[in-house]
Amino acid sequence: MPEKAILCVDDEQIILTSLRDQLQRHFGSRYSYEFAESADEAFEVIQEFYEDGVEILIIVSDWLMPDMKGDEFLIRVHQQFPGIVKVMLTGQANEEAIERTRKHANLHRCLHKPWSEDELIEALISGLEM
Amino acid sequence: MAGRKGNILAVDDTHANLRLLAGIFAEREYRVRPVPDGAMAVSAAQAEPPDLILLDIMMPGMDGYEVCERLKADERTCDIPVIFISAKNDLFDKVKGFSLGGVDYITKPFQAEEVLARVETHLSLRSLQTRLEEKNKALTDALEQLKATQNQLVLQEKMAALGHLVAGIAHEINTPLGAIQASINNITNALNASVRELPRLIQHLSFERQADFFALSEAALKSKETLSSREARKKRRSLRKVLEDHEIDDAESASNILVNMGVHQDVSAFIPLLKEKESPFILQTAYNLFVQQNNSQNIKTAVERVSKVVFALKSYARHDDSGQMIQAVVTEGIDVVLTLYYNQLKRGIEIIKNYSAVPHIPCHPDELNQVWTNIIHNAIYAMDGKGQLEISVRASEGADSDPEAGWIIIRMTDSGKGVPDDVRAKMFEPFFTTKPAGEGSGLGLDIVRKIIDRHQGRIDVESEPGKTTFSVFLPIRQ
Ligand SMILES: Nc1ncnc2c1ncn2[C@@H]1O[C@H](COP(=O)(O)OP(=O)(O)OP(=O)(O)O)[C@@H](O)[C@H]1O
Repeated sequence: MPEKAILCVDDEQIILTSLRDQLQRHFGSRYSYEFAESADEAFEVIQEFYEDGVEILIIVSDWLMPDMKGDEFLIRVHQQFPGIVKVMLTGQANEEAIERTRKHANLHRCLHKPWSEDELIEALISGLEM
Repeated sequence: MAGRKGNILAVDDTHANLRLLAGIFAEREYRVRPVPDGAMAVSAAQAEPPDLILLDIMMPGMDGYEVCERLKADERTCDIPVIFISAKNDLFDKVKGFSLGGVDYITKPFQAEEVLARVETHLSLRSLQTRLEEKNKALTDALEQLKATQNQLVLQEKMAALGHLVAGIAHEINTPLGAIQASINNITNALNASVRELPRLIQHLSFERQADFFALSEAALKSKETLSSREARKKRRSLRKVLEDHEIDDAESASNILVNMGVHQDVSAFIPLLKEKESPFILQTAYNLFVQQNNSQNIKTAVERVSKVVFALKSYARHDDSGQMIQAVVTEGIDVVLTLYYNQLKRGIEIIKNYSAVPHIPCHPDELNQVWTNIIHNAIYAMDGKGQLEISVRASEGADSDPEAGWIIIRMTDSGKGVPDDVRAKMFEPFFTTKPAGEGSGLGLDIVRKIIDRHQGRIDVESEPGKTTFSVFLPIRQ
């Protein structure tokens, strides 16, 4: 079982499944991929991985989500896991929120929907190399 | 002498009379123009309209009645008060004088005091009337201006509501576009891989395993189920145990792929296939077939989402300038607004729709959209984004004797904090808001009420903490 994982958080299934197939194709079984439809669910996954000793390398998160927004979510993650690389993938950019995430969660990249596969993969690879 | 007190035209064919009248008025700071016959009187009045005309009736040529008729027929002179002065003293003449538009009637021989008193009375009446007309005009202008301002405010409120929405709509459109873009790549790549790998796979598999492979692919293509990410995790875990019990290598990857393909109910038929040496390659190839279908489905869903938003935007922005009511079904308007608010609603608000079939009614659909937008917007605010919004729509048929005197009743009930009594008394007033300064205009419900009034409907509010209902009644036939 791969001990390293990439976690995607978005409240839209269509986004998660299309990300899943992109990741699967580019990185194959090198990593495990996990998906969450809300920040709450993502925290659950992070906790489970932590208990199972799986290391999360990258989190790709939407910004506009129910309950907790992407900036707050990534900042909270950062406080606990500063080593995880954080990427935002958003359909609607709120400049302040992005700036906040840069500052307080060391945001690696902010990608905009619709994203191109190349920029997504580049963001992930450059993040993985850090 | 300047006519400080007024400008009078005196008409009489008797010079002695003219002189007498001129003398009376000139002494008292009036300006008097004496005119000896009817035709001259008409042209003098038209050339320079006086404040009042004293008019003899019996004159050679054009008599006083005809002069008066002509003056009344001319826009320039029709408002000038005319007082008849005549030696004729029977009722018939007086009545005729008044019916032609005269304001008074003085009989000769006259007393200077009487003439003066009557002239003064009519001049002051006239000036009061003029002032009244000016005030009236000012009022009409002010009203026009108010109406224009109100229309402006209605439009501003509509634009503000639209502004709330636009931010969400960018997300609403970019999200499906993102999914479409990624899915197209996924399909292209999976198709290329399938074309490349299928022949090789077939060569390597026995007939039996080939049949298994196609059965697996078919099961994947047929599976309609979409699991939430949470459910998918559970399934993967339990399937992994099953596969491990069958001693399948890399049970984790296999269970991931099978669950992604929607094949997780009964996998026993596929165990032999999974035990093949090349099983990762076999699974990947089956998965590539599935990717093509699944991502097409993604695109379809995404396109539907975008079209819905565009349609809703179009219906929202449509403005009927004709001012004519058109036939529409209210539930369609409500759904348009719900689509536009989908983004804000899905984050924690459960929508319960109870629509009964309702007839078309004559209405202004764009205005009603504003009503639903305001009520829903207020509800989201009152619930702080979390709770339940129940929308029921039904038609009441009214009394049996008059089946058409029915109403369409729209009820929107939110589970928010409720409306305190003191707020409730004022909530429909313009500019009343409990929102912090700068956040709310307080015009929302004022506009709602105006729009409903225009539809000859009414709106009621009932509220207790946790349950606030706005009921809108719209007449079915107007
Ligand atoms: N569903 C509701 N639950 C509780 N209070 C409400 C509800 N709807 C309206 N109110 C109260 O009525 C007030 C007036 O509402 P109105 O729609 O006229 O203006 P607003 O919402 O404050 O401002 P704006 O229309 O500019 O957003 C609100 O400030 C709020 O206090």
